[in-house]
Amino acid sequence: MTRFGLRGLFATMRGAIAEARANRAAFAFQVGVMIANDLVWIAFWVLFFRKVGSVHGWDARRIRVLFAVLTTAGGITLGFLANARRVGTMAVAGELDAVLALPVMPLAYLLVRRIEPTNIGDVIFGVGLFTFGCAPTPSRTATFLVVVIASATLITSFLVLTGSLAFFAGRSEGGELGFHALLLLGNYPVDVFAGAAKIFVYSVVPAAFVSTVPARLVDHFSAGLAAWLAIVTVVFALAAQRLFSVGLRRYTSGAVWTRA
Amino acid sequence: MSAARSLARATGMSSRRMVQSRSGLAFTAAFYVIVVAVLAGLWRAAARGGTGTIVGYDAVALTWYIAASEAVTISLNARLIDDVGRDIASGAIAIELLRPASVLAHRVATELGTVLPRVALCCGVGTVLATVTAGAPPRPLALVFAVPGMILAVTCNIVAQHAFAASAFWLRNAGSAWFLYQKLVFVIGGMLLPLEVLPAWLHRVANVLPFRAMAYIPARLASGHVEPSLLLQQIGWLVVLAVAAAAVFGAGERRLQVVGG
Repeated sequence: MTRFGLRGLFATMRGAIAEARANRAAFAFQVGVMIANDLVWIAFWVLFFRKVGSVHGWDARRIRVLFAVLTTAGGITLGFLANARRVGTMAVAGELDAVLALPVMPLAYLLVRRIEPTNIGDVIFGVGLFTFGCAPTPSRTATFLVVVIASATLITSFLVLTGSLAFFAGRSEGGELGFHALLLLGNYPVDVFAGAAKIFVYSVVPAAFVSTVPARLVDHFSAGLAAWLAIVTVVFALAAQRLFSVGLRRYTSGAVWTRA
Repeated sequence: MSAARSLARATGMSSRRMVQSRSGLAFTAAFYVIVVAVLAGLWRAAARGGTGTIVGYDAVALTWYIAASEAVTISLNARLIDDVGRDIASGAIAIELLRPASVLAHRVATELGTVLPRVALCCGVGTVLATVTAGAPPRPLALVFAVPGMILAVTCNIVAQHAFAASAFWLRNAGSAWFLYQKLVFVIGGMLLPLEVLPAWLHRVANVLPFRAMAYIPARLASGHVEPSLLLQQIGWLVVLAVAAAAVFGAGERRLQVVGG
């Protein structure tokens, strides 16, 4: 990408941040609502493990790490790269015209164009949970930061990948289902699954690599597992970029001029 | 046309529209399967890993519990409060006031029509899923009570969401309220867990709130508990919620001001 392209993307991102912060009161309220939402999930797990003790080696302490990774990574994608979730609907509605006229990479521009304040609450919650509930040490914190970046990249790639299917299918429901499935399955430790379901969350919907594997790495770092996480992330990122590019050639304008 | 027939037609029309939407139904069914498979799997693993039961529910009962609680929740439009609130805040609801029928009743009837085909679909899918993954229903007789329990649950939920959304008449914005409402149904409504799992004080709180009528009651019935009195509780809550929603909507309609058109 050229220097001009990068400058354009940074300017776009600054614009998106300014737009999100324009109404401070609404911004703070939406962030607060998401934090309350995340607290409810933590409450569920606390109540669950209070009754059952542990399940397949997972207890309240390990679930906190899983949740810290998932909410931080999910918040980065859905908060700072909010359009990742909308690729499919925008493709079907023909709302990409404005992007194509700009001298920047369409996918990169699309991703940084919009910020969703509600999901910034996830990032704040996730970082807060790790800081106060996951016994951070320098090495655990460093691992947490790296796996969160990998997980956010994987979530973004998966959403772009499933969203780009809309260029070919002409419908965006598949992308929506992929989004819900990934985040829902990511909420649970992968060890509760068995057989085909376990293969499913390690491959088709890579929920295991979004939360369980990163949480394991924070607790017990293993070079082999880290390599797997890196490989899966890179494969999904390349596949998403490629499918979006190929799909864009089939894009049909809806004569709708939006700012994407 | 009488008001009752008009509402019945509204329900029927929205039901037919929903049935025509094959992709929408397929999405609901797929999402339902994923949620039930995961959540019921978690509870089964917990039950089998311990003493075999959790608060009196064994692995099979827990699976049927989750299949029912998720069916009555996933079938609903999660953002109904947001949608109704937006119509109120934008003034779009003003056009509905011109009808010679209650806006609230018409909206509830229409929404119910959208939800019923989804509930029926989830019931069918859930029955197969629970039977295959866990086993036959613990007491088939209980399912006879669970079916009306599910219809009452979604009706209670729709009416309650309208009561919440009516706050937009005053606040001009019901956005985000749906998020918190949803979480109340999740935990103290018993969607994610049987209410008996809650600590005693929270269980007592949950027992005096209407959210238990929206998930816990049909789920408890489906998990093999033949307790017809639970249906009477749901009917009682439905009356209370309908009166509350009508009062809030009525007060809101009187103060509605719409500028322009």
